[in-house]
Amino acid sequence: MVVRQNRKKTRTFLLFAVLGILLILGGILPRGAQSLVIQMMVFSIFAMGYDISLGYTNQCSLGHSVFFGVGAYGVVLSMTLLKMGILSSLGMAVLAGIVASFLTGLVSVRLSEAYFVIVTALFSAIFHLLALDMSWLTGGDDGLTVSLPKISLGPLHISLYNPYVNYFFVLFFLVLSYLILRRVVYAPLGKVFVAIRENEKRARFLGYNIFAYKLSAFVISAVFTALSGGLYALALRYATTDFFSLYWSIIPIVWCLVGGLGSLMGPCIGVLLLSLFQYYVSAWWTHYLILFGVLILIILRISKKGLVGYLEKFVGRQS
Amino acid sequence: MSLSTPLLKVENVTRHFGGLEALGEVTLSVNEGEVRGIIGPNGAGKTTLFNVITGELPVTSGAVYLRGQKITGLSPDKICQMGMGRTFQMTLIFPELTVFDSIWVGVNARSPTPWHPFKLVDAMKDESDRVRELAAMVGLEGKLHERAVNLSYGDQKVLEIAMALSTRPVLLLLDEPTQGVSPQEAEMILTLIKRLSEKITIVLIEHSIEFVVRLCGNLTVLNRGRVLAEGTPEEISRDTEVRRVYLGGDVWNF
Repeated sequence: MVVRQNRKKTRTFLLFAVLGILLILGGILPRGAQSLVIQMMVFSIFAMGYDISLGYTNQCSLGHSVFFGVGAYGVVLSMTLLKMGILSSLGMAVLAGIVASFLTGLVSVRLSEAYFVIVTALFSAIFHLLALDMSWLTGGDDGLTVSLPKISLGPLHISLYNPYVNYFFVLFFLVLSYLILRRVVYAPLGKVFVAIRENEKRARFLGYNIFAYKLSAFVISAVFTALSGGLYALALRYATTDFFSLYWSIIPIVWCLVGGLGSLMGPCIGVLLLSLFQYYVSAWWTHYLILFGVLILIILRISKKGLVGYLEKFVGRQS
Repeated sequence: MSLSTPLLKVENVTRHFGGLEALGEVTLSVNEGEVRGIIGPNGAGKTTLFNVITGELPVTSGAVYLRGQKITGLSPDKICQMGMGRTFQMTLIFPELTVFDSIWVGVNARSPTPWHPFKLVDAMKDESDRVRELAAMVGLEGKLHERAVNLSYGDQKVLEIAMALSTRPVLLLLDEPTQGVSPQEAEMILTLIKRLSEKITIVLIEHSIEFVVRLCGNLTVLNRGRVLAEGTPEEISRDTEVRRVYLGGDVWNF
């Protein structure tokens, strides 16, 4: 019990430290680094959401590019076609993510592991082709650009064109997503997810409707993926059909594996590492991904639970 | 539901695997408060019978009733919610969960909102108390924070019983509860089942005839998917057919 409480304290301290650092960075970072951190925060939302699917219920989806793309286009199309504000377009993005994940989940979640991977990958391919084909709506390869209206909060009118505003806007959603997901994983729902991951059959024989729980994990995961896609489109002021490509389904797996499955912080650490790697190493070597592949192998060789798993083991040995 | 309605009724259940008849017109009924033993040689269809009763396998023909309600065709989770708990021959546990969390998952299944997305688990006092109570009942109260995978096989078996009990079943199906455990642990499990049988109806599959006789009021002997004999242990031990199946019947001389 004491160990558990100590760990809880350490974690709370770490969280506030991270939040403090992010707040300070928002004020002092130069332009380039600032947009890199914005991107990392957007991806962290994606990564945490994805981990609900992969890390918490063991559903290795290759279909999350669909929700990422749907989220991005949800925002852009709501603003260009429906003339909606920024916050309501983000709401539309999330809604689109829920609908897309519910419909694809109905078909795929029932399937056993390997078939689930294949079918979700097929969804990714289908949506990518559809998006390319429907260039009248999506802008095809060129994508769609969007100009951002001001956000009105009472008398306050803020513009995301201001990079500082944009930074804290994204940070707000990162914190919000984290708090919601943290609540979910410490609630009965999250515990049942873990039980299903640990032993699906046992959970079924304790009276749980596995399909319903896995589907809800899939949808929750998609909500944050779509939110992330929407925020990414806002940050770039642009959405392209490339967001539907399989790349956006594979990269979250890498984040989660490197950082650590089955935790919320782990995937964020994965994002941090991979983003820094892409940013700095790619500058001096174009084939940096080879190096990254080796790094992933080393990390997974050391600890199957990624970096967070390794650190926890290390801390556990110390105390 | 009248008093005479058996708690569990299996009616003419047949189950084929391709050309193989695993169960042939099995009929049996278990009354409330009974401890029923299912015995028979390997491949007699004992586990298949459990799988059919709990909804894991569909029947080819026939029907199963729990408290007079037909449960054939329902999914295992529905059947569990109606009051059936089950353990498995090869223990089914949540390897990475602690003993506390494992039992909690079962207790939560009976809470009004098992899917609640925002309630904090640590604040659910009723459920935690119930977990401790169950752990104490089976003798795992000292190992609440150990991970299930690190328990001895005997403790895993006991944990599985606690998990099956956590859903508040009216009927408990135990598939070889003492298989593969040490004699001391087997004795412990036997005492546990004996204690449980005062509160709950139990159907159990067991290879050790000695245990079956000490535990069960009634036995059903299965052979090649069919009910060979039914009755009290004494009646069964006198049955020549049963003796023949058990090859000379040394097992009955204890």
